[in-house]
Amino acid sequence: MSSRKKTLLKVIILGDSGVGKTSLMQQFVNNKFSHQYKATIGADFLTKEIIIDNNKPVTLQIWDTAGQERFQSLGVAFYRGADCCVLCFDVTNEKSLNNLTSWKDEFLVQSNVSNPQDFPFIIIGNKIDVDDSKKIPSLQKKLHNITHNQLGGLNYPVFETSAKDSINVEAAFEVIAKMALQQEELNAASGGDVNDDYNDAINIHLDGESSGCGC
Amino acid sequence: MATTQSTNSEEAPITPKKSSMLLDPNEYNKSDNAANSHQRNDSSYSRNFSLIDMYGEEAASSPTGPDSNDHGSTSDEQLDYQMLQSLDEFSFGEISTDHNVSQQTITQIRDTPTPQPPQHDEDDDDEDRLEIRQQYVIPTSMGNETKILNSPFDRYGFRKSSTHHGFTLEEYNDWFKEYSEYSYRRKKKWELLMKSHGLPIQEDDPVPTRFPPKSDKVKKMIRKGIPPEWRGNAWFFYAGGYDKLNRNAGVYHQIVENTKNIHNKDTEVIERDLHRTFPDNIYFNESIDANGNTLTVPLHSKETPLIKSLRRVLIAFAHYQPQIGYCQSLNFLAGLLLLFMEEERAFWMLVILTERIIPKVHSADLEGVHTDQGVLMLCVKEYIPQLWSILGTTFEGERLSDDQILSKLPPVTLVTSSWFMSLFVGIMPTETTLRIWDILWCEGSKTVFRFSLTILKLCLDNPEFDGAKHSPGGEADQIELFQFVQNFPKKILDCSNLVDLCFKKIGGYGFGSLSQDEINKCREFVSKQREMMNYKRRLSTKMTSEERYTLMNSSDGQLDGNNDIHDVYGFHRPIMGGVVWNRSISNKMKKTFAKRNSSRSST
Ligand SMILES: Nc1nc2c(ncn2[C@@H]2O[C@H](COP(=O)(O)OP(=O)(O)O)[C@@H](O)[C@H]2O)c(=O)[nH]1
Ligand SMILES: [Mg+2]
Repeated sequence: MSSRKKTLLKVIILGDSGVGKTSLMQQFVNNKFSHQYKATIGADFLTKEIIIDNNKPVTLQIWDTAGQERFQSLGVAFYRGADCCVLCFDVTNEKSLNNLTSWKDEFLVQSNVSNPQDFPFIIIGNKIDVDDSKKIPSLQKKLHNITHNQLGGLNYPVFETSAKDSINVEAAFEVIAKMALQQEELNAASGGDVNDDYNDAINIHLDGESSGCGC
Repeated sequence: MATTQSTNSEEAPITPKKSSMLLDPNEYNKSDNAANSHQRNDSSYSRNFSLIDMYGEEAASSPTGPDSNDHGSTSDEQLDYQMLQSLDEFSFGEISTDHNVSQQTITQIRDTPTPQPPQHDEDDDDEDRLEIRQQYVIPTSMGNETKILNSPFDRYGFRKSSTHHGFTLEEYNDWFKEYSEYSYRRKKKWELLMKSHGLPIQEDDPVPTRFPPKSDKVKKMIRKGIPPEWRGNAWFFYAGGYDKLNRNAGVYHQIVENTKNIHNKDTEVIERDLHRTFPDNIYFNESIDANGNTLTVPLHSKETPLIKSLRRVLIAFAHYQPQIGYCQSLNFLAGLLLLFMEEERAFWMLVILTERIIPKVHSADLEGVHTDQGVLMLCVKEYIPQLWSILGTTFEGERLSDDQILSKLPPVTLVTSSWFMSLFVGIMPTETTLRIWDILWCEGSKTVFRFSLTILKLCLDNPEFDGAKHSPGGEADQIELFQFVQNFPKKILDCSNLVDLCFKKIGGYGFGSLSQDEINKCREFVSKQREMMNYKRRLSTKMTSEERYTLMNSSDGQLDGNNDIHDVYGFHRPIMGGVVWNRSISNKMKKTFAKRNSSRSST
């Protein structure tokens, strides 16, 4: 309660259903992994306080989302004001890798950030603990294609993690926190206002419907 | 330890036992069948048709016992007296022998660490499906209650408490001690009610398949809770399941057959969700052993029968309702149904739910969720204005004006959306959810609104809510409120109290008088507004004037009478204009607030 002064950084985790978003968040925040998490419906968040660069305390507010596409329509409100977006895929599931671009686009549309070109994204390939035989064949090459070659390529930091064995999770979130802090400071400097034109444009008075509308 | 656990722990729950199955009315009626033998071809279909009468309109005038009139109108006190008188008829001995088999099954699951030998081939899916189903719910009886009290699992196979729960094991047991007595008393009352309607409980099959027709008395009984082991049959009966099933005889099995080897986007998501549905339930998690330990080693190597059923039901459903397909949260609904009824019935219950009770809530665009959240928020604004003054903001803490409610649903709707999609499964303690389901299947979707409002009002009345309430708006506060509303329902163990708060005329919140008619009207209103909003949104986003022109002149019929270009700029009538509110409950709420506020300021 008294920590209001602390910087609050909002992080959104996106990616296909089942890639391990909930597990990553739980591993980072509660240091545990369980195969027992229920499928996420709607959205959920956890907070964790960490120290960046040995002296800067921040509160990470991490939003976990439902991966099924249709849930996107519920997500408009809490994407806004995000300071960093984590795009997750499952190293054993090629489709989840190919969908990263859509998740990014979706986020940019919904969050309406003011600097889409240099908004901080980070890519996490999860489940590296599984047997190599199950992993996406020539993953590095495909990943490179997606991050570099494609139009509007996802040229962002990539982490390969295991939420199960707690590999690289800590490290990834440390970078996430730093990137989020930068974005936050940038926003604060520029007045912190995101562009609201789009929503105002549709926020027109609605008709009370035809009752007695004969005139 | 590891050695005993690594053996097949999933066998224990499988053991199918004939006599505790859920009775099929077809079976029930076999003796009558001779008389109907002229309807012999496709007999199950035609025979079942004659059954419709028994629970349809005709049920009201169906022959009842000679003492039915007395019982029909008796108060609970009288019933208590009569119950005492007829206690010999419901001898304990009989009841417990009836349940011997399932008790034995449960004993196997919970008391015996050594697994039983498998009783059926696990390699044959068909066999699973046709197998006569075991009773998963531990029936209410004195002996069973003690067993449950000492088990890490509840009556339905769910772990009683864990870190994901809002209460400790002790708190659960304290509650259960009292509640199990209540359940036992209620069951006795149900037995009397059944008898008074000429539907006495059979000794050899204590789970009835037919129930008294809906009436005020029956509604009251249902609101006080259906006996746990009767729930599947009662829900199915009151939701009109027989009608649906009879008109679609064989359809489910055909779909299952047709979708056996299907692979698509839906089945992929389903597959991933099967094991994430009820990981803390012994019937859905093959890696929980008899002592309640979760094994980490053999993950998903074997599947429980209910996991297989869940897969078939969800795939069949996605196929049968392509406009919905598979939507996450359906797994919770189907999963809970499967604990109470066999899969064909669970399937049709899902269909009834998504067609009739909460339409479009699971559709590809989740339009029903948005609509219902709009309705819920209008209700909050009208009936719990004090709460609206707190929640009616954006994430950033900006107040929502009247004409923004539907276009910018407040953050709390992200929480309440999941209440509607999963119908409180996993949101509240199991028994609390089940008590709401009892009412939902009989009374319809207004139940979801009534209880959502009751829960929200309970939040507001909670002292811990106060802190956030009084501080000025701002994102942090909204987040705190969001989290509070999200976690609060997990603590509502006292389900009877929740039901009372919803329905009690005196001392209740009054949401029990919110009518279905009103909900329907409001839904229609919100839905129209949203249509217009989406239309305008399309017009206002990156569109060339030419595209805009084409769209406006296209007669896609979506907005009859609204092709007028002026509509794009909107009118100034307030959004509430289209809804006629139930003033009596609104006034009642306002009075209650006034009273509370005056008593607060005087202290
Ligand atoms: N082997 C392995 N499995 C994981 C890992 N992270 C998650 N999982 C499993 O993947 C499934 C989906 O995880 P979940 O966190 O619910 O995914 P979400 O839908 O993205 O939230 C679960 O069965 C997890 O146990 C990981 O790092 N390694
Ligand atoms: Mg998740």
